[in-house]
Amino acid sequence: MSNYPLGRALARGAFVSALAISMMSTSVFGQSVDLSKWSPEYVRSIAGTETYNTAEQCGAVTPLDYKGKLSFWYQGVFEGDPDLLRQYYKDFFEAFRTTYPNIELEEQALTYNDLLDKFRTALLGNAGPMVVRLQILGGVEFASKGYLQELSPEDVGWKAEDFWPGAMKSVMWEGKTYGIPTNNETMAFIWNADIFKRAGLDPEKPPATWDEVVEYSKKIHDELGIAGYGLVARKNAGNTPYRFMPQLWAYGGGVFDEADPSPNYGEIRLDSPESIRALQASYDMYVRDQSVPVSALTNQQADNQPLFLAGQVAMMISHPSDYNVMLDLQAKATGADKETAQTVIDNMRYGLVPTGPDGRRAVVFGGSNIHILNPEYVEGGEVDEAAAKAMVCFWTSPEWSLKMAYAGSNPGNLNGFKTEWMKQRLDSIKFLDVTTSMLPYGVPFPTLPETPEIMNIIIPDMLQNALTGAMTVEQAAADAAQKVRDVTDGGGL
Amino acid sequence: MTTLSGHSDAAPAHLARRPNILRQMWTSRADYLYVLPAIVVMLVVIAYPIYYTIDLSFFKTPPGLQLRDKIFVGTDNYTAILSSEVFWKVTLNTVIWTIASTLIAFVLGFGAALALHRDFAGRAILRAILIIPWVISAVAASYIWKWIYHSDFGVLGAVLVQFGILDRQPNFIDNVNSVLPSLIVVNIWREFPFAMIMLMAGLQTVPEQLLRAAKVDGASTWQRFWHVIFPHLRGVSTVTILLLAVANFNSFIIPWIMTGGGPSNASHIWITHIYELAFGRQRWGVAAAYSVLLFIILMVLGYFYVRALSGNESKESGA
Repeated sequence: MSNYPLGRALARGAFVSALAISMMSTSVFGQSVDLSKWSPEYVRSIAGTETYNTAEQCGAVTPLDYKGKLSFWYQGVFEGDPDLLRQYYKDFFEAFRTTYPNIELEEQALTYNDLLDKFRTALLGNAGPMVVRLQILGGVEFASKGYLQELSPEDVGWKAEDFWPGAMKSVMWEGKTYGIPTNNETMAFIWNADIFKRAGLDPEKPPATWDEVVEYSKKIHDELGIAGYGLVARKNAGNTPYRFMPQLWAYGGGVFDEADPSPNYGEIRLDSPESIRALQASYDMYVRDQSVPVSALTNQQADNQPLFLAGQVAMMISHPSDYNVMLDLQAKATGADKETAQTVIDNMRYGLVPTGPDGRRAVVFGGSNIHILNPEYVEGGEVDEAAAKAMVCFWTSPEWSLKMAYAGSNPGNLNGFKTEWMKQRLDSIKFLDVTTSMLPYGVPFPTLPETPEIMNIIIPDMLQNALTGAMTVEQAAADAAQKVRDVTDGGGL
Repeated sequence: MTTLSGHSDAAPAHLARRPNILRQMWTSRADYLYVLPAIVVMLVVIAYPIYYTIDLSFFKTPPGLQLRDKIFVGTDNYTAILSSEVFWKVTLNTVIWTIASTLIAFVLGFGAALALHRDFAGRAILRAILIIPWVISAVAASYIWKWIYHSDFGVLGAVLVQFGILDRQPNFIDNVNSVLPSLIVVNIWREFPFAMIMLMAGLQTVPEQLLRAAKVDGASTWQRFWHVIFPHLRGVSTVTILLLAVANFNSFIIPWIMTGGGPSNASHIWITHIYELAFGRQRWGVAAAYSVLLFIILMVLGYFYVRALSGNESKESGA
């Protein structure tokens, strides 16, 4: 890195600053947590400094003896999540029922990939739930269609400044707020130090750039005959854009200008030279070097986890929760597999996501938001507003937004970082520092109604077209850019 | 006189048909009353959705608009579909999928039915084993096969490598050329027991005395099959093939779970593509137009199915 020319270094610095400013916006100084000081040390310094009483705070929004009924759908735990998270979900609903014993709650958990389809279908028949917790890219689509009620943190007793500005952007449509972030996370880079060592690489030094990821992946494959990087390119799966977009942005590309400090989504950049270079990197790993799993086109991250644990994949991008997932999987393994898994866990390392050639570092600013629906789209045609706000307040409280994100994410309510549970978390969740360090590099997905289609269909299609040889890299990028053009114009097939 | 009488005979018959039908309906009015609830239910759950789908197929449904705000575009959706490269690729996949799955499942089922028709030790066990693929859940089967085919650690590939048939793990479902044949194999595995059961039932109807007579007349095994057994199975074969073809046209679970239509649309068939357009991309109008086209094709197949059934019935009743 020290060999970088001055101009490049300045550009890198400017980009990171711009990203940080974009994430923090102008409301930094009104923030309950000072985002301008964000660092692992700062996070540690504020952890455990405040206590909150959720029942008291939410009781001010909806009285605790309120009698009502609530239907609630949420993106729940799935096969790739650790057992720890399952327990917190159970605890949450138990706590809600104890706090609000007279609210009759009907909750329904859906997986990430099923939730949007089911929710869209239900809304067409005016059979939606009263409250829904959606993935971060989903809210704008439904807000733009008028399905969601206006809902801001102030409506449930919090302040907008208590949430990441980037996350608040994801619940805004045409200047109005339609939801509240429940959790936000950024992924980190994970590698197996033992494999690095055996392949002749420095075990404690991860690749600094995406070009180095390609190099390391090839070296690992050539030396050991296993997959270097855990590429994921399945269609209709959220895992694919979460892993490819950081690479695309790092090379200076994008779908639009979403990685710029003030995006307006006016220019389509998927076929820019920078985007093509990012796609070429994936092509080089999959086709030229064959250094990634062949099954990448049908794999999700949940398929990569056992491969990593079996010592068959050396590097991947994922959440801090993957460490806990590995522990869960290792506990279930038997015989020699258990020993192999333990070696992998002992050698598991987390680092910052690599940069592009010009020092750009970016990662998807992920998470989920909670929304209340307009009554006409809800089964029965009524929304129990008080019960709905009780649920929203409960989930977005410092306590539960932290606990529900304990192993896999971070609290949407920034005050969660100040709780005693955050302190416990820092002591018990390994590698948490790295993933919280990535938060300022987070880039939100474009806040457009077309984003789910772009991220879940068009981006994976582009990857598959290039990686299968159905198209050249340039053709695949041009085809994807045209599809984005079509979808934003309301056309295309 | 002849002309007059002929004329007078024909005219009343023609004119009398309508009153006869009405009279018959009136006479059987209780029967119509009994089936009325079923007809009403069918109108609600079948006729209305068909009408709505046809209506929707003339509208554009952008992701930022609710369905009720859809925009009328005439036949643009049909034009967009028919002029799309992806549509023709998916259509070719659908034709290959349907024909290959139907014919091979039928041939294998026929072979299995003939083999199991004979009496031998363990026949019941073998019959039970062969029915398993048809009985187990298609979802479970798809996940199992996905791992059997896994391009890095699949059991099938490992076995082929272990026995020296291949020198490296084959790529079954992550390759545009091999993915569709690989899925067809799974589909055939799932469906051939159905053909087997249908044809085993058909074989029970072949008169034993005819086979004996043919044998006495010196007919070979092949001649007995071709001239005695096969003609008796024509009806059940037609129905089986048509049922399999309709089921295969409507297939969804296996390709969707195993590959999601990928890689690069290489395993998309009509139903998976329609699903993706509607639920993944909210192109409700285009998906509706697509569904109308599929509906027309299935109606044609349905017509032949009903004709085949009626043909069988009239043969059986000796009409």
